[in-house]
Amino acid sequence: MSGDEMNPAAVAQAVEDIQGDDRWMSQHTRFVQECKDAEPEVLFIGDSMVQLMQQYEIWRELFSPLHALNFGIGGDTTCNVLWRLQNGELDNIGPKVTVVWVGTNNHEHSAEQVAGGILAIAQLLTSRLPKTKVVVLGLLARGEWPNPLREKNVAVNSFLRSWLPRLGHTQFLDVGAGFVHSDETISTRDMFDFLHLTAAGYRAIAKPLIDLLLQILEGTPEEKRASLV
Amino acid sequence: MSSEDSNPAATPTPGVDTQGDGRWMSLHNHFVSNSKDKEPDVLFVGDSLVQLLYQFEVWRDLFSPLHALNFGVGGDATQHVLWRLSNGELGHISPKVVVLWVGTNNHGHTAEQICGGIMAIVQLIKDKLPKAYTLVLGVLPRGKMPNPLRERNAQVNKLVQEAVSSLPHASLLNVDPGFVHSDGSISHQDLYDYLHLTPQGYQAVCQPLHAHLKGLLEKQAEN
Repeated sequence: MSGDEMNPAAVAQAVEDIQGDDRWMSQHTRFVQECKDAEPEVLFIGDSMVQLMQQYEIWRELFSPLHALNFGIGGDTTCNVLWRLQNGELDNIGPKVTVVWVGTNNHEHSAEQVAGGILAIAQLLTSRLPKTKVVVLGLLARGEWPNPLREKNVAVNSFLRSWLPRLGHTQFLDVGAGFVHSDETISTRDMFDFLHLTAAGYRAIAKPLIDLLLQILEGTPEEKRASLV
Repeated sequence: MSSEDSNPAATPTPGVDTQGDGRWMSLHNHFVSNSKDKEPDVLFVGDSLVQLLYQFEVWRDLFSPLHALNFGVGGDATQHVLWRLSNGELGHISPKVVVLWVGTNNHGHTAEQICGGIMAIVQLIKDKLPKAYTLVLGVLPRGKMPNPLRERNAQVNKLVQEAVSSLPHASLLNVDPGFVHSDGSISHQDLYDYLHLTPQGYQAVCQPLHAHLKGLLEKQAEN
């Protein structure tokens, strides 16, 4: 496992305002404010894969009813998510489940480093939110045809599969099944730009995800018994 | 007026695959092959604001019935759209109206250069599709609070409006329904990241756009 000090993907880092309209910081500030007002049972944190989900009907149908908050920001790397979590986005909330989906934008880092960054996020969550169960979503394939980023994302998932079970209260969920067809292509019906999901793409990943969330939220037998006391 | 050589925003430039998965070229190739199969009356071309429009119900409700095609690519600036349209995306199709929405991603370019880029696209469309009408959509404000990009985008719109005013085959439509509130802020309910439109934001933009488009198509039918 990569030590944090040597892993650049596990170093918290804010996004610099290069374009000139400060949108990243505006979004972060809004999320910090949402933490003051809301009492989410489920927290989603990550990049545009998380952020875009909230714009489709599926969010209102399946995830809003679970009292879910969406703290996704397009373009974010593991470093950016770490920074946000350390700078207010976990204050005053106690979600039962935190869903983490990030890593596909870590272009400067190796697969092992990216997995280490995701691990660091899971570790931070379990230490700051002792009651939360962390669900880490696997990175999806990308690009119309086989390419080095697909291999990299597969490798990240592979590291996560072996590392995450060693962390308590954390599990890995692979939602990528079916996106790569037998001819090795990805369809624009699922990913409109071979990276971001369409409504149909989100519907496909929502099924296994919602099943797992409901399972966790409905609680283990031990928790159910304890809550009856 | 900037000549192509000295205006980077008006120099056809393909997207560069910096990430390693060839997505920009994949999308371009898809659009080229779409242009071989389809017969659109309306072609939407531009950046992510065009691309994302296709993902929401509003497209099916308002624009599919008009036989519209969507050639939006996230991240595209004017020089990228210029390259795509020069390299096959206008082959084999003869839409009556081309809706052009681009300019917000031209980072590092001045408002004059961006206007030059947009006008180069308008000229290219006229050259390739002499009977088509080009409807340029105004670049929207962005950022939560006032910032230099809002000023730049407003200036682009002003310059484009002046440039198209003498042209019979093009016009600028301001599609901003009033996203900027009296305190200067933009709401995430309209622009979820202070740049991209929510479905609610698209409704506010698209109702008047749709009405305007229908009017244009009826006029084209009369000619």
